[in-house]
Amino acid sequence: MSAALATRIAEDFAATAPVPADLQRHRAMQALTEGGLPTSRDENWKYVNLRPLEKVRFAPPPVAPQSPVTAQDLPAPVAQYARYTFIDGVFAPALSAPTKHAGVLVKSMHAAAANGAAISPDLRFALLNEAFATDGAQILVEPGTDCQSCIELVFVATTDAKVGASYPRVSFQVGAGARVGLIERHVSIGSDANFINCAVDVSVARDASAQHYRVQQTGARAIWFDTLTARLAENARYQLHSASLGALSARSTVHVQLAGERSEVGLFNVSVGGKNQVHDTFALVEHIAANARTEQSFRGISGGRARVAFNGKIIVRKGAHGTDSRQSLRGLLAGTDAEIDVRPQLEIYTDDVRCNHGATAGKLDDNMLFYMLSRGLDRETAQRLLKWAFLEDVVAKIEVPELRRQIEQSLAGQLNEAAALKELL
Amino acid sequence: MLKIENLHVAVGDNKVLNGLSLEIPTGEVHAIMGPNGSGKSTLAHVLAGRPGYEVTAGSVTFDGRDLLALEPEERAHEGVFLGFQYPVEIPGVNNVYLLKAAMNAVRKHRGLPEVDAFEFLGLVREKMKLMRMDESFLSRGVNEGFSGGEKKRNEILQMLILEPRLAVLDETDSGLDIDALKVVANGVNTLRSPERSVVLVTHYQRLLDHVVPDHVHVLVRGKIARSGDRTLALELEKRGYDWVTEEAA
Repeated sequence: MSAALATRIAEDFAATAPVPADLQRHRAMQALTEGGLPTSRDENWKYVNLRPLEKVRFAPPPVAPQSPVTAQDLPAPVAQYARYTFIDGVFAPALSAPTKHAGVLVKSMHAAAANGAAISPDLRFALLNEAFATDGAQILVEPGTDCQSCIELVFVATTDAKVGASYPRVSFQVGAGARVGLIERHVSIGSDANFINCAVDVSVARDASAQHYRVQQTGARAIWFDTLTARLAENARYQLHSASLGALSARSTVHVQLAGERSEVGLFNVSVGGKNQVHDTFALVEHIAANARTEQSFRGISGGRARVAFNGKIIVRKGAHGTDSRQSLRGLLAGTDAEIDVRPQLEIYTDDVRCNHGATAGKLDDNMLFYMLSRGLDRETAQRLLKWAFLEDVVAKIEVPELRRQIEQSLAGQLNEAAALKELL
Repeated sequence: MLKIENLHVAVGDNKVLNGLSLEIPTGEVHAIMGPNGSGKSTLAHVLAGRPGYEVTAGSVTFDGRDLLALEPEERAHEGVFLGFQYPVEIPGVNNVYLLKAAMNAVRKHRGLPEVDAFEFLGLVREKMKLMRMDESFLSRGVNEGFSGGEKKRNEILQMLILEPRLAVLDETDSGLDIDALKVVANGVNTLRSPERSVVLVTHYQRLLDHVVPDHVHVLVRGKIARSGDRTLALELEKRGYDWVTEEAA
């Protein structure tokens, strides 16, 4: 982090003046000052565009948005999910419909659970969030609760980065044996160049199962940074489905720790970038306990002059024997000036593990294309279908039909093919 | 219907077909047999227009038109169908969608309106019954996770729905157990008519017990080495390919 950037962050922090008793925010700021934010010289950050940080006012917006957001401005709700809306990181009760489900507690979070001081350099954007966020969603799911269509969080950014930043913040704690579904959306209203820095912390207790759907659909000028950490206990299951569609520049850092034996994580990520968008994801899964499983799939399409990058790293710690991990990372180039970077990484410090990985970056499969042509489909239709099929491979894993349809429609729109793909949607 | 004259085809530096000539009149079923590497599959692919095959000499006409000048999809529109030896898996595109898109592509070419959805499903169900395919096939991805036999049955299902005028079936019998072989043969026989021709590319004669060919040709080193009626296939079964190969040398 440059000295100038550090100074501006510190000044903005001082201007927001959290009370001295708000130790957590002060500590986060201190840790951030000491460690700094990553730069593009850091290995896991070379694809992301960090330049927009130079123009950001890091404090949350000083006043409520000029034009109030109405329910019509928000994405269509998904049946049975209780909605909680946050405008520029602050809870908006009027746009929310709280859950009545027994065993599920959603609190507005002024002081969040701490992430700890020994934070890895890749997670420092979470410190920025921790230092500046003034609100957030804390979701507590009591042990044994069954709420599979449960909570939907909608984070709306409305403010220009020159005026203030938006800090969505989520703590999602799933009690032992619970089953729960969470939808998390990020959208923009208006055409301002928002700066959004999101931090999500997930913990899934033993024998619990959590489905987490994330849709990043912020505005065409938005800058989006995101840090998600998750920790799984024994026999816990966590499935994270992410769709990256929006933003001018979006960076997501995911760190999952398989801390309990036989825990299981599924990371399913689709990303479609066009025009001059940058989508970059760094997903690290750390196998700490034995006999845990990872399934990681990425499908990215880069068109126009976009750059789409996915770095999927799996570390198998000493003692994590019986690890079973599968990675299938695939990128597709849909424009001559576009760029796609797909990188699987494995670090293994124990024996007796099974780690499969496959990664491809390139053009449409010639065999598939010829097969379709030989059935009489014209080339344009066949290519369009194959592009769609490429994404569907992962999108089809979304188990909420309504949400899946919404995401499919957005993806088709992003590919400029909503009309042509109508029959498939 | 199909006339192949002095066809030479290379794949990279490898000359695979070396002056192949063959005529397939309308309404006939011809079997192309031959040892491994004799050029059988190359012939099938060249007829369907697969990229990567260079025609260095010769001609192929289909109803008097230059078939080689047509794009793969145009050949399909004209009524040429290739049954793949290794049908391609396309996860994410379901079978019923591909079938419908393929059928409508051919109809469009013939100036017909798109098929009515209800009518289409009726047709598909009828053909699936014939191919002993479970209805769940429809909503699955194209060939995704299908067994070898299921894939081959799916090829024939597509063929029955598209009703090609010339079907080229590339080792459709390979990898089939005897029951599946009968189902596939039955499908091919259903299509047989005085308006259509079928080219069966096969390694073994057992398919020909069920789909009786009008003519049998043996391909050796990229040329027809011998032609005859179905008794030629039986003789090959008994004696192997060596004697034809030696004679051709």
